[in-house]
Amino acid sequence: MYLTSRLPRLYVRTAQFLGTSTSRFNSNAGAVEERIEIPNRIQRSPTDILNALASTVGRDPTAPHYKYHDDPYLIPMSNVGKRTFAMSQEAGRKAAKYIRDEHRDVFMHQEAQPPIEAFAPKMIFTEDSEVNTDTLHLLIRNSQVTDAVIVYNLLKQKGVEISNDSKQEILELICFYNNEEPLPEELIEERWFKANADARERNRKTWKDGELAEQLFQELEPKTARSYAAIIRGMSKYFQAERAYALLQEATEKQFELDTQTFNAVISVSNFLKETADQRWELCRDLLQQMAHQQLRPNLGTLNAALEVVSTFGNFKLARSSALKVLAEFKQLGIEPSLGTYYYLLIIFCRDRAPVSHIIVDILHELKGREFTIQHPKDTFFFATAMDVCRNHLHDKTLARNVDELLHTGNNYDLIGDTYKEAVYYRHFFALLCQTEPIDEFMKVYDLLVPNVYIPEPGIMEEILKAVEMNGAVELMPRFWSDMVIFDHTNRESLLTRTLQILIDNPPNNDLPAHQSLPEQVGKIALDIYQKIADPEGRRPKDLQFSGKMIGDILALLVRSGNFEKANEVFTHIDKNQHRIPGTPSENCLQEYVNACIENKAPTQAIVCLQYAVENNMDAQPIAESINAGFTLNEVHLSKVKSLVGENLVGK
Amino acid sequence: MSLLKKCAQQLLEKTNLSSQTIAATTSAFHTSPICNRVQAGRYRVTTKRNRALTYEMANPPHYIAHRKAWNSWNTSTMLDGLRSSQTAIEDLFMRKFMTGTWHALIVSEVIIKRQHNMIRISAIVRQAISPRKMYFLIGYTEELLSYWLQCPVTLELQTVADKNDVIFKYI
Repeated sequence: MYLTSRLPRLYVRTAQFLGTSTSRFNSNAGAVEERIEIPNRIQRSPTDILNALASTVGRDPTAPHYKYHDDPYLIPMSNVGKRTFAMSQEAGRKAAKYIRDEHRDVFMHQEAQPPIEAFAPKMIFTEDSEVNTDTLHLLIRNSQVTDAVIVYNLLKQKGVEISNDSKQEILELICFYNNEEPLPEELIEERWFKANADARERNRKTWKDGELAEQLFQELEPKTARSYAAIIRGMSKYFQAERAYALLQEATEKQFELDTQTFNAVISVSNFLKETADQRWELCRDLLQQMAHQQLRPNLGTLNAALEVVSTFGNFKLARSSALKVLAEFKQLGIEPSLGTYYYLLIIFCRDRAPVSHIIVDILHELKGREFTIQHPKDTFFFATAMDVCRNHLHDKTLARNVDELLHTGNNYDLIGDTYKEAVYYRHFFALLCQTEPIDEFMKVYDLLVPNVYIPEPGIMEEILKAVEMNGAVELMPRFWSDMVIFDHTNRESLLTRTLQILIDNPPNNDLPAHQSLPEQVGKIALDIYQKIADPEGRRPKDLQFSGKMIGDILALLVRSGNFEKANEVFTHIDKNQHRIPGTPSENCLQEYVNACIENKAPTQAIVCLQYAVENNMDAQPIAESINAGFTLNEVHLSKVKSLVGENLVGK
Repeated sequence: MSLLKKCAQQLLEKTNLSSQTIAATTSAFHTSPICNRVQAGRYRVTTKRNRALTYEMANPPHYIAHRKAWNSWNTSTMLDGLRSSQTAIEDLFMRKFMTGTWHALIVSEVIIKRQHNMIRISAIVRQAISPRKMYFLIGYTEELLSYWLQCPVTLELQTVADKNDVIFKYI
């Protein structure tokens, strides 16, 4: 039927034929209505296709981060490397920006239509610049604090009329940034790596008292609720708690209608206003009641601010009960908690000196499979803290794996925060896994994440080595040693000692296939360590010195791997530098060395070894006996041995 | 002297008509300078045979599209292609900039590809400076060129340990 309707008149006969044939077959179908439903058009944004494609590709653990250049020479292999490469690239960008601004007359051309402002040199404002209120608005919109202030002063000087709205805008800008120029948004690497500095300065008051913001506030006549809101929020952000609270009281007295955000800001700093937990809780409740009085609806910010105050209580019982109360009430109000809320709950409940709390199990159950977006600045703290709790508080690997799963659902990885928190997260994860998982499972995770996603710090490396020791998995040692060399952990004495300890205590078992090439590799590792310490390759003399035990282990390992000449060299080193090596090699090591001397027919060396043993007050008897048994000594040697250990021993 | 004049001179010699021209020069035609020859992109063989050539240098220009590809890829030479002269000048600038900024480090030709509004610059670089310094230069070059050319620029470098790795033959 479809065919017949489409065919032109020329093919009428065929059409008729077809028509009759098909209708014969379809006679039973009857009059089936084929209505084609055209669905409504789905509105697509310009990047929807890209998002869809991106969702099919996860993080590729075998490749370094895409910000690094794709060349083996340029791929970072240590934590220091990762940081320096990214920061130096950004430094290059800053240098280019500087050149462009220095030689602005050369860079004035605009090739694109309409002109792209990002490529043009930055405007500088001097005393003679022609400015008007529009420039001021533009600068405020682009968050250029210093330029906005300069332009504002210029306008004032020239006597240009500045509306109250403009004054309000500039007041808000200055309060938000505390009259400091913010880090340009383009400098993503610096922002990514900046973390720590902020965290440490967290509780210091940095608000600039009596400076521009407050001056502007005074000048602003008449004062509105918005101006009060701006100045109070600014003060709270930079921890000027008392003045913020005072201004809040002033505003309420003057019957101004403030908003939720302002109250949130003051609540979050109220822990600086009072000393004890009870007083803080009182103040918090007071503020919440004031909010209710002013008919302001609380939001997520209020919830998180209240929990922030609760988290600073010293009294953990009060903290826990208050937190639960707050949570219940806000749930009634229908406010959905964010990851930041859960972060606060974790730090309230899972404290070091408080009894163990399993709240994280409930939290994870609640959050399972959900995807999050950033709703509050503290959301980024959740994952690192959750992993910390799993490791230190509960020591539970299933929970840790659940947290990891949550991190990898959807786009939740964006909420890991910055590089510092990511490192903390993986540090706890690794430490927990290497202590609780069998070594094979752990190696799967290790292979996946190292070295591109996470590089273990020396402390974590030590934990891993401890786990290897416990599992006796000595076949992994060559791999770990090469990793330690790449990640630059080899200047830590504790790590070297532990490595040698593991190698010594676990002699390779020739029956196992995994151990076939092991003796040789072990010897290489020992030699490597020896060379690293003995000749520091022209760099400054390392603080690293041998300890007696270390060098004894090296000696024994070299002997076991069959490298007798090197063993001789090491022993000569021990002998010559006796005064520099604290402690002595263990007797077993010396015995092994002597046995090797016997095998390799080097009686002189054996006797030197005996001499060393005697000089250092070690038990030389077994050594002497083995020398005597193993060699047929000539006169010179015999007399020497006699002089060292006495007649009676040699006679046997 | 032009070819025509030379020929005329030689012919006139025979007819003894202008002794002056004969007196002016007595060189024979077969040793007169050649001006109609192809000499672009070709390197002369040396007696010591120590002139190093990369693969690109070793293949003369008539091998482009046979054994070599182009160094500049853009659509300015197609029908209705825009900005062909500006593109060419920009390419010259970029090549000079790259060789200058990466001082004595670039061991191949600089390949410039334009796609939409993006410019991709590729080159082979020696590993003579530390990776940190390389990253600084990468960031600097990309940013400065994008300011100059007013479009996004990406560098795609490949490093090579030894400059002898790119040498194809010695002439």
